[in-house]
Amino acid sequence: MDVMKNEKIRKGDASLGVLYDSGKVRRRREWRGFKDTLYDFGQWLKLWGIMINVSLGRGFFKGLFRYRWMVNYLAVPHMIDKFTIGQRDEALRITHTAIGYVVKDVALTIKRCLRADSRSGNDVKFSDRCVLVDENAMTSFLMGFPDLIALQREVPTMFSANLINQDSAVHYIDVAQTFGIPGDVCPMPETEAGISIEDDFVVAGKCAVQVNTTCDGSMMGNGIIAKRLEKQYHIPTFQMAAPLRHRSEDVQTYAAEEIKAAIAFIEEHTGARWNWDAYFAAAKRVNNTTRNRLEWLDINSTPYPQFVGAVFSLYNDTNYMGNCGRSPEFPLIDEKIMKLVRRGYEKKSMLCREYRHRCLVWGVQPQYVIDMLYWMMECWGVVPLTDMLSMVIEREIAEEDTPENREQAYYDMAYLSENMIMRNHTHGGYEVLVDQLWEYCEKMNADMVMMWEHISCKALTAMHGQFEEQARARGIRLVWVSHDLCDPRIYSRQAIRDQFNRYMRTVMREEPVDPSLEVLPDDEAW
Amino acid sequence: MRDLKHLQYFEDLLQNANNDLVKKARADGKVCAAFVCENTPEPLFNLGNCFGVRLFAPNTGSMDVATYYMTSFLCETTRALLERAIEGGFNFADCVIAPDGCTMINRCIENMELLKAVESGSDRFFYEHMELPFKADENGVRLMEVQCRNHILTPLSEVYGIDVSDRAIRDAVREHNEICDLVNRIGDLRKDRRPRITGYEYAVLVLSTYVCPKYLLKDRLSETLEELKEREPDDREARARLVVTGSEMDDPEFIRLIEECGAFVCADRYCFGSLPGRKRIAMNEDEDALTQVCRHYTYECQCPRQMNMEKFYGRKAYINEIAKEYLADGVIYDQVKFCDPWAYERLSGSTALREEYGYPVLSVDRPYNIRSSSGQMRTRVQAFIESIEIKKLREGKAGTGGKA
Repeated sequence: MDVMKNEKIRKGDASLGVLYDSGKVRRRREWRGFKDTLYDFGQWLKLWGIMINVSLGRGFFKGLFRYRWMVNYLAVPHMIDKFTIGQRDEALRITHTAIGYVVKDVALTIKRCLRADSRSGNDVKFSDRCVLVDENAMTSFLMGFPDLIALQREVPTMFSANLINQDSAVHYIDVAQTFGIPGDVCPMPETEAGISIEDDFVVAGKCAVQVNTTCDGSMMGNGIIAKRLEKQYHIPTFQMAAPLRHRSEDVQTYAAEEIKAAIAFIEEHTGARWNWDAYFAAAKRVNNTTRNRLEWLDINSTPYPQFVGAVFSLYNDTNYMGNCGRSPEFPLIDEKIMKLVRRGYEKKSMLCREYRHRCLVWGVQPQYVIDMLYWMMECWGVVPLTDMLSMVIEREIAEEDTPENREQAYYDMAYLSENMIMRNHTHGGYEVLVDQLWEYCEKMNADMVMMWEHISCKALTAMHGQFEEQARARGIRLVWVSHDLCDPRIYSRQAIRDQFNRYMRTVMREEPVDPSLEVLPDDEAW
Repeated sequence: MRDLKHLQYFEDLLQNANNDLVKKARADGKVCAAFVCENTPEPLFNLGNCFGVRLFAPNTGSMDVATYYMTSFLCETTRALLERAIEGGFNFADCVIAPDGCTMINRCIENMELLKAVESGSDRFFYEHMELPFKADENGVRLMEVQCRNHILTPLSEVYGIDVSDRAIRDAVREHNEICDLVNRIGDLRKDRRPRITGYEYAVLVLSTYVCPKYLLKDRLSETLEELKEREPDDREARARLVVTGSEMDDPEFIRLIEECGAFVCADRYCFGSLPGRKRIAMNEDEDALTQVCRHYTYECQCPRQMNMEKFYGRKAYINEIAKEYLADGVIYDQVKFCDPWAYERLSGSTALREEYGYPVLSVDRPYNIRSSSGQMRTRVQAFIESIEIKKLREGKAGTGGKA
């Protein structure tokens, strides 16, 4: 592609590498000009407000001293800074709006976890309204239970803890491996298994629903977790299966029946009853989310993408998976983001100083742990148009309450569940992992693919040769960037960046836009 | 013990996927349906003029090309299969039908498909991918029925004109059960304190029933059974009687290695083993044959991919049951390197068998071809056997058999 230069002179820091040192946090905050710095600072204060609010919740201090993972939350402001490097104007506001709400949502989850936890808040009545749900589950089967709470206790314990502190999973991986799980499995379910082995999850909920999404490792870790839940804490568990070949018509009845069985299980154990009004209201919100996301992707297909990066992916993740239309607040946030996106597009705002390559980010990604996608823009002028995790739900579901749609609803919930983020591409045949990538490249006018190769993800790496050969045949630049998700001991942040640097220098023969970012001393940072 | 008359014959059949019996069946004009995974209903490949062969890659050496395509972190079984396909080792197949039993076996077959690695020379050659249930329940039975109909029966019928009627399925199950009965009668001999068959010999016989056309095996298996009835066992009992359980294992050399260390492998619960892979399929006349076959495979499955907790606990209880039935002193949990499902099952299983059922357990991962690193494994097995012997000495008895 032709290089696009940003005509607008960026206010504030020009060389962003100066912000990094070898400490846990940045040397100082980024100077973005008066207006944007003030806005950024205001958001920083707001963040502390959210965190203080969490600390006022029932059981907080008991939980703080009981659970090893709680200490990670001191580093939340640092996480936000990772996602805003170099941003100004609309881009900065989009990121803050989206990630701000994600943080609020996680904060609420922590608050609920500790309140319900028998070892800290011990609010039994509240706990009885909670259903433990896998973090890898689309919570679609709870869309019709407005009075129940989907308690994704793995989110604060493993997932978001790792966004905040890259080392948060290391201890639990070691626990799991000491116990006998090999080191070659995906460290994410391995961490969750390690947390359970060490009995470091909150103990809450009337019952639990586990799923086989995302992958074999995730499914297998569930058994270890469920055994503790059932045997030690007497929390009944239900395993809900979603077929792997999710594009096939002949698996959908199986999937729908599984949804029905999960709902029946929840009704039996909580006493709650399925509410169709609540379901269809949630379905409307899911469709709203889908429409908005598709419009953002349309805009990202133009020369002026607006909402990109890890936050785009994180926001989609939270909106679909944990929320799944149940919260009436998400549409309001969607609306705010949409206004900013449209405004940025109309103004032809650019996200960094120059665009050299339009890049599609594919594969299983550690991009929440590292500021890679923003770094690619600032350091090399490579714009991450979208990523695999954001290419999720593609069609709308039935949202009018009719007798036919009540039956269709089970299929729609199954559709959402089968197509949970990431899994909808890593499973279901090479068509959705390999073929669709090239389709998206064409649709979004991408000339480059940044391929996150999660070395322990068998579903992805098993197609390594196919990606390589097919990209070559199509003339698409394919940059392999290996990592081991939440285990930074295997690939450090700089080891990850070095792979990209090497490609840009040796294959593309380019010089960085901001050379100060090429090597960063942040391996010890949160 | 004296060598079995036909052992060499059976061993020779296992030197190549395209063995003499496969060649003979093809020469007889039969259609060869290649398949993978223990959870695929095997009798459905033996309908009418069709015979099923479960793919394996004996004598695997280098897996370099498959490693390029799938990386070094993929299960060695799947890499070995892909390598063998690329080498042209499966060109005898008229179709390949594979379930998404696990992610890696699915990707293995997908790579074969994309690389057009299996070149049968037939323009009717096809690949089919099918879904399998994740739980042992009636919803799962219904799923398997639909999948078998859409991805096995219909393509075999439409492409090769195979008779897929209810009667044909019943005939195939009858033949399948005959083989199972023969294998089980031989297998029952392992329950003796001084058995008349070694674990290695048995593994060779059982493996041949998966990778050869069944109708060509019956006579030799029957003869072997008769021979075994008269065979004089060794005077001494083995140092330890072991159950081997774990993932895909089509390498009898692994069993031989264990027995060379002085143990006797008395029970085989691994993919390609006889427990429960050679359990006969009970049929009645009231229900259609396909449903009954699917029910058998859904409920008898001991694969860790079945995620419901009844199965999770049941798999451990099953090992305990067979350990008691076959008078085992200990259990070896093995996992082919980089297999995700068995990585977790090996942990949960070995812990449960040790702590809840009281067995000495050896938990190991192994290469696809044991000859590539036999020294390490031999050391571990020897140490394990010695630990069992020490335990026996301390307890002053011959065999512990877990908690009463």
